[in-house]
Amino acid sequence: MNTQLLPSPGTGTPMRPDRRPAPVRETGRFAGQHRGRLVRADALPVTAWSSLAASVALWLADGGLTAASSPAGLVTALGIVAGLAGMDLVLLMLLLAARIPFIDGAVGHDRALEFHRKLGKPSLYLLLAHGLLIAVGYGMAEGLDPVSEAVALWVLVPDMWLAFISLALFIAVVVTSLVAVRRRFPYEFWYAVHLLTYAAVLTSLPHQFSVGGLFAAGTWQRWYWLVICIATGAALLYYRIILPVRATFRHQLTVERVTSVAPGVVNIEMSGLQLGSLAGNGGRFFIWRFLAPGLWWHPHPFSLSAEPVRTGPDGQGRLRVTVRGLGRGSAQLLRLRRGTRVAIEGPYGLFSSAARSKDRVVMIGAGIGITPLRALLETTPFDPGRATVLLRGHSSQELYLGEEILELCRQRGATLFHLTGGRDPGSPDSWLPAAEHLAGYALADYVPEIAHADVYVCGPSRWAGNVLNAARAAGVDEDQLHHERFDW
Amino acid sequence: MRIRAAVSAALASAGILLVGWQSGVHVADTRSAVAAAATGNQASGAGTTDSSGTASSGSAASSGTTDSSGTAGASGGAGAAGAAAKAGGTYDGDVVQTRFGTVQVQITVKAGQITDVTALKLTDAEGRSVQISNYAAPILRSEVLQAQSADVQTVGGATVTSDAYLTSLQAALDAANL
Repeated sequence: MNTQLLPSPGTGTPMRPDRRPAPVRETGRFAGQHRGRLVRADALPVTAWSSLAASVALWLADGGLTAASSPAGLVTALGIVAGLAGMDLVLLMLLLAARIPFIDGAVGHDRALEFHRKLGKPSLYLLLAHGLLIAVGYGMAEGLDPVSEAVALWVLVPDMWLAFISLALFIAVVVTSLVAVRRRFPYEFWYAVHLLTYAAVLTSLPHQFSVGGLFAAGTWQRWYWLVICIATGAALLYYRIILPVRATFRHQLTVERVTSVAPGVVNIEMSGLQLGSLAGNGGRFFIWRFLAPGLWWHPHPFSLSAEPVRTGPDGQGRLRVTVRGLGRGSAQLLRLRRGTRVAIEGPYGLFSSAARSKDRVVMIGAGIGITPLRALLETTPFDPGRATVLLRGHSSQELYLGEEILELCRQRGATLFHLTGGRDPGSPDSWLPAAEHLAGYALADYVPEIAHADVYVCGPSRWAGNVLNAARAAGVDEDQLHHERFDW
Repeated sequence: MRIRAAVSAALASAGILLVGWQSGVHVADTRSAVAAAATGNQASGAGTTDSSGTASSGSAASSGTTDSSGTAGASGGAGAAGAAAKAGGTYDGDVVQTRFGTVQVQITVKAGQITDVTALKLTDAEGRSVQISNYAAPILRSEVLQAQSADVQTVGGATVTSDAYLTSLQAALDAANL
């Protein structure tokens, strides 16, 4: 029997599932893809650090050290190095947010953005240090205090007023992105301020090439800097604008129907063209924009909850996402009209078969986080008996798409557990319902061979964190853990 | 795997910095030679009071030998202001202070035409400024000779030097009543 349903608490004591310690032998069919991904994941920090070193090397190669002989020269030199490193970090941040498939496929969208966020403060500090040190260094050389020097730079040196504006914009962008500040404002406000990043970068460029002697016309350093700036701009333009627009026109998606799954949860089915090229992306997410009044500007990140279904020739078919009315924007989606056009970006993320490293696979989902697992379960390769699905919800009603998942598990030979019931308020670290937790169950009781499996986790971030910790405790390697944040 | 990434990143960064540093030492050596050549050039430029317009002062290579002291102050050539309207002679521009050093140019005038522009002093605060000056001065000189005025574009990457150069030039033009 492939399907196993735990009795929910209240109907009796939960049964401890039987342990089946089986000898684990890998076929190695995912070994190559896994090695490749790890190499790419390692290449990213190496590239990042190298680019940072290169930005300093530009200055060294220009004989920068000889200029740092006097106190004023030393301060100015430090200011120049801070500016170079700061700009390099800004370019790295832009690349991390550019949704480049290489980065996405190596570490995933959320990890890339996490790293993007980590660079925010260091780059701002470097740029602030750049401005301060240059003002002090130049001031020392001319016998002026830093403030008068800054005023003189603003007034007298061409393009410098733009650089001052740029610094102010950078401060605004980073400050509004601090977690404490960001929480106080609606997403739209943060997003609008974040768009100013482009203005900040653009206004900073003129002074780098006109005032910065390092990049004077005729130097190879100027060419290097031009190339990395233009390449970053081109990557943003291509991956964030051209590709999405092309995908939108190619697939011609329109809303077909909206059906209720559970209170507050709907399936949105869309029909479109050439959907074959989107197949195999179960679990990955797309960014959807429903082109209706009041909705079109709001991007929604949703995973497909089922593989595309072919309905006609030439790749005509249907897509489906399953959505819970969480935020204000999502609530409006419950009332989408048939025929509404849909713009699409993606697929993004690493919550897919591309992340597999082992023959065995475990999928653990809670609430609306169950839906991407449903699509993953449909296509990710495994032999019968080598997959386990654990679904978590307060009640069986909250195990969205539970029927479909049960059916898929039957067809493909996966073990299924339903874990329903409230949490134990006394143990915030538990991912299990109170009854199971108090009965002393652990992850390995459900999946004895979990240490030799890929573990996909999708659900509210607190809960998902608990699951990941439980998996680590059960001996699952970090490389085998695949987690997708969906409540962001 | 993280260790592999950290080690590779450290090695790559160190290598890049080392290469940069090495070529920097090399550049610094050649630049001090260039700087010496430049001061020599300026000195010889200041010496040409005979207004021979062909003494291409822009090319540092031609007068690479450090032959003179290089104190290119206001040498005797400064025309006795105003009066010498459209005659010939050399006229010194103002000394303009910038954060990268001082700039002063001298013009040679023949029959109301600027026949030559010589940089008496150019920004030289750091090695880099010397390099910029040597790059920008010939461009500015040829543009000024073509435009026959100080109304020319600044050189990209050398705006401070260019502005000072053109300010000093304007003063020289005023002195020559051009």
